[in-house]
Order: sequence, then C-alpha cells, then structure tokens
Amino acid sequence: MLSRRSLLAGATTTALAVPARADETGTVTVAFANLSEDPSVRLEGTGFTGAEVRESFSLAARRRSIDLVFYDNALDRTKALANTQDAIRRRVDVYIHYGWDNAVNTEIGRLLAAAKIPVLAIGRPVPGAPLYTADNAAAGRIAGEALARHAAENWHDRATDVVIIGPPTDAMNRMDERIAGITAGVAQVTGTTVRIDTGGNPLKADALLRSFLASHPNRKALVAALDDATALAAKSAIEGSLRHADAVIASHGCDRSVHGNTSDKRELDPVNRGSLLLGSVGYFLDRYGYDALPLATELAAGRPIAPRTTTQHRLVTPANAFVIYPPIDMN
Amino acid sequence: MRKLLVTGLVSLGMAVCMATAYAQSDCSKVVPASPFGPDDQTGATNRVTPQVTKAAAAEIQEGKVISLTNPLVDGVPLFGTRFTKTVLTAVTLAPGAALGKNGLTYMEDTWLSQSHVGTHLDGMGHIGRNDCYYNQTPMGKYINQNNMTRLGLEHLKSFATRGVLIDMVRVFQAANKLKTNPACRKPCLDKGTVITQADLEAGLKMYNVTLREGDIVVLHTGWVDIYEQYPAQNALYNSGEPGIGVDAAKWLAAQKVVTVGADTWAVEVIPPEDPQILFPVHQTLLTDNGIHIIENMKTDDIAEEVASTKRATFFFNMTVPKAVGLTGNFVGIEAIR
Repeated sequence: MLSRRSLLAGATTTALAVPARADETGTVTVAFANLSEDPSVRLEGTGFTGAEVRESFSLAARRRSIDLVFYDNALDRTKALANTQDAIRRRVDVYIHYGWDNAVNTEIGRLLAAAKIPVLAIGRPVPGAPLYTADNAAAGRIAGEALARHAAENWHDRATDVVIIGPPTDAMNRMDERIAGITAGVAQVTGTTVRIDTGGNPLKADALLRSFLASHPNRKALVAALDDATALAAKSAIEGSLRHADAVIASHGCDRSVHGNTSDKRELDPVNRGSLLLGSVGYFLDRYGYDALPLATELAAGRPIAPRTTTQHRLVTPANAFVIYPPIDMN
Repeated sequence: MRKLLVTGLVSLGMAVCMATAYAQSDCSKVVPASPFGPDDQTGATNRVTPQVTKAAAAEIQEGKVISLTNPLVDGVPLFGTRFTKTVLTAVTLAPGAALGKNGLTYMEDTWLSQSHVGTHLDGMGHIGRNDCYYNQTPMGKYINQNNMTRLGLEHLKSFATRGVLIDMVRVFQAANKLKTNPACRKPCLDKGTVITQADLEAGLKMYNVTLREGDIVVLHTGWVDIYEQYPAQNALYNSGEPGIGVDAAKWLAAQKVVTVGADTWAVEVIPPEDPQILFPVHQTLLTDNGIHIIENMKTDDIAEEVASTKRATFFFNMTVPKAVGLTGNFVGIEAIR
C-alpha cells in the first residue's frame, strides 16, 4: 500500500465525536461519493478518471472488513445532496466525499454532522472533517528539483530557461499550487522562467514549444509539463525541433499515457532510460482507495486521525517505473 | 608494459564486478533453504513417494478420464510478444515424393512458441526474488545463453499423486458472495477476487476432503470460460483474474502440497492485493517452497463431475518433459477416477 504523509496542524483531531461503528461481524459500511464518473472528466489536473479512483476503492477493500456503497456525484450539486441523503438513510458508518465545490461541501458536511456520520473529504475540505488530498506544491517541487538536478549534472554553466507548460490555472485543479512548487524547485536555475498556456488543449503544446525553442536557439530548456498529455506533446516538439540535446521534461500525474504494462506503449520504461521525459510525478489517483480506506476505518472506530493527509508524491522515472507500477502482464 | 597494465586494470575491474555480483548473490537471507537438502533441485515433487502414488491409485475406481488441458492452438490468450506458430513439414505428400517401394510418407512439425503458454507448468527457475531462486540458488551463476544449468525441469520427480479439486465458484455461491463477470457464460469469480485460506477450507469441507502431504490442489474459479472464448475475450482474460492471496498460498505450502493449479493464467489474484507487490504467490510457492504452479488449466469438466458425484479427489496424471534447463513447459493433464 502506498504510504501516506500526514500533516499535523497542531493537535490531532477527529472529524466528529462519534461512537465506534461496525456491525456484529466487525464490518463497516463506507460510502464513497465520487466527484464524477464521466470518462471525459479528468481529475486533479491529471489524466486519471473517476472510474480509476472508484476501482482503487474496490481493490483496496478486498482484504478489509468493509462494505462499499458507491455514488456518482457527476459534478452536480443536486445529485451530490441526494446521494448524501441516501447514505444517511442507509446509516453508513463513514461517508467519503470527493468534492469539487466548497459550498456543496459545506452543505454535505452539515447534513452528515446532523446524522452523526463521520466524513472523510477528498480533494477539497469539508468543514470539520479530515481531508485526504494531493499536495500540488510538493508535487511541483519534486518535478522542479528533478529538472534543476538534471541541469546541474549535465549542462553545468550553459544558459538554461525553464518552461512551465500546460493548461490554464484552474481553481479546481489547483494548478497555481503546482506551478508555485515547480518554481520553488527550479529556484537555483538562473535563466528565465516562461509560462506557456495551452488553453486546455495539450496538442497545442507541440506548436507552442516548437516556437519557443526556435526563438531560443542557443539555450537549454527545462520543460515542466503540468500534465502527462502536455508532456507527450512537448516531447514531440523537442524531437521535431531536433533539440534532443537541449531540453528535458518533467511531468505531473503519471497516468497510463506514460506508463503501463509490458504489452503497452509506454514512455517510462526501464529500457528507455535516455528518455527526454525524466519522469512524471505520481499522483496515484488509482491508489486513492488504499490511502483513504484505512483512514475511514479509523473514523468508523472513533479513533483520531490527522486533519490533513496528503498523497506521497514520487517522481516515477524509467528506472523505477516497474517498481512503483509493476506490470502484471508478464507471467 | 602498457598492455600488461591495461590487462591488469581490466582484470581488476572484472574482479571488482565479480565480487559485487557474488555479494549480491548471497541468497541465504533472501530465500529459505530447501527442506530436502542443500543440493536439492527437485522441490516439492520429492514428496511423491511410492506410498503417495500407491495411495493415489485408490482414486481410480471407474476408469473415467477427464482432461484438465486446454487445446494448444493459435489464438489463445498470450502476453506481449509471445506467440505460437506451427509449421508442418509434409514434403513426402507431394506427387512422386513418397519413399521406397512401400510408398512411405511422413510428416512432422516445427512448433515455435514460448514455454509458458497454454496449460503449462511453472518450474522453479521461473520465479525468483531478485537473483535468488529456490533453495537459495543465485541464478546469475547458473544461466547461459540457452538455458539454466540448475533447477531445470529435468530434475523433477513424478506428479503421480492425488489431485483435489476445490470448486471456488460453489464456495462463493454458498457464501452468497459470488461476484461474477458479465462475460462469463457460466458462473465465475470476477477478476480481482481474493481467495482466502477460509475459502479453501470451505471448499474442502464441502466435499469432506482433508489435504494430505503430496497432494496436488486444483482450483476451479470459472475464469476458464473467458479463456475458452479466445480470441474475442483475450484482453479480458489477461487483464486480471481471481486467485489465491498470499495467506492462502502460505497455508497451502504448510499443507505440504506438491503443486497448485488453476483455470487462470497465474493462479493468484490479479490485480494483486498490494499494487506494488507483484506475483507474491509465485514467490511463496515456487521460490520459497519449491511448489509448482500449473496455469490455464481446463477445470470446468472436472468441476461438473465433482459436483455430480460429490467426490473431489482423483488420480492426477501428468508427465513433464525432461527438458534440460527449462523454466517451464506446456503439459497434458488428466484426472482419472
């Protein structure tokens, strides 16, 4: 199971003062209200979908005494409230809410508090409830530091710029935090830092980065891609510009577009250690269940948990991709 | 002088590399020692003694033979770059090409494939923990371009022992927890379903069987129905499977069984219980205990037979080629009752 990093802000707290819950067999019922299961909706500014998050809960629950109830909030306030009401009627032991809107979260928190059902918020806080979330600032810093390290080790005193490329800053995806982390990570790089906004269309990254490289002919470029789709387009731009020796990429998300099983096309592969894509910072949405359900179990038992627990982001590289994401299709 | 110096440096470099390799190859803390001795390359088939085989022969009561083998044919589920290809040599069938006055004709085949395809046995050279394989074998020292020089299939003894079918479909049905896959035409456990020690014990209790040393355990999960829908369902078949978890594997090892087989491609649950721990059941059975694994078995017919007769045991008939230095091979298996 992916380990967790818990940020303790002062004293450890519980979401609600609730009695221990479980049926006579020790099984607890946990509701998971997903943000959206629409396959076109990508979560946390990565390539992951709601279905992958839900699947992680199913897999993580297998060896725990947990009955899961799934809801799809579909980014819809009315559905979200109806789902909460249904969970209250079912008397679930814990409600996990993957939220997107502070106002909706507040309403849901109020309903569940009245029903004395503990809540674990995911992604966005529910007042009074512990939160499990990605740490965009930490993730961005990991990517930035990887880029800066590459420059220091390989380019020495060559003039080097930093290009932060990807979708626009978006409150829901918290890109501003990611960018701040990248900026902190590359602080030692002396060149200019340029932000290229793809307008939400990753394919635009190809032309935009080609243009940038053409206008900076004698310089090196550290490319911080805000997501993997952008990273792959950036790689195409670098290769198409014949600037293999002048640019490297670090990305965010590590979704299935950059890694995979042995049968899949994948950039992050142990035999591809010379890739322009140094790595992608793992957001591990496909393992959220493994992190969240132990927290839910603690809540159900009435035990205290940290008010904020974050994903332990790691840079997934060609060298460690098969360790962090071992392929199953090789037996 | 310069040449000598270069030679010396190269030698020194090699010595350093070898020393490093040897340091990495101390398997005594990585893999348990074999209970059959430091030179053992046979593993759990050491348990198939004449007494075990004789006792298993008592299972043959009607002479009924049921195949546990899926046909080897192009199109069955394979991983990655694996393939099967047969080439028929039939030159003597050409007009005038028959041999001698007696018109002798003959044909033969070239079979091109990997050893771990179809219904096949995993040998002990198949799975290790880093460089360390069964009986603390540092495998890096025992391979050449063509094969292994230790732990090959030629060291295995007989598999002529008692087979025990555990029908996991019926166990999960009885426990009212069967979650089938919509693509299964008959009930099956869905991929990702963990089979626990308690499930195995429930399956044994269903037909009043107690495992004994030297048994071969065959699990029917129903997943074979997806295999049989090749090639249409190959992607689904390979995407995961129901299977035993590590706890169940350890329990089976403690029962001193010889082999564990199933109608799945890995016997163990996929996706695994821990997403960062790959094929732990293989390591538990093969690497740590020398217990063989048989994959892609055809178990639906024997499961029906067991259900209708309420007898879950049979004589397990399988011969493994003495294929020197191989890590595994396809096999033919029969349950004789």
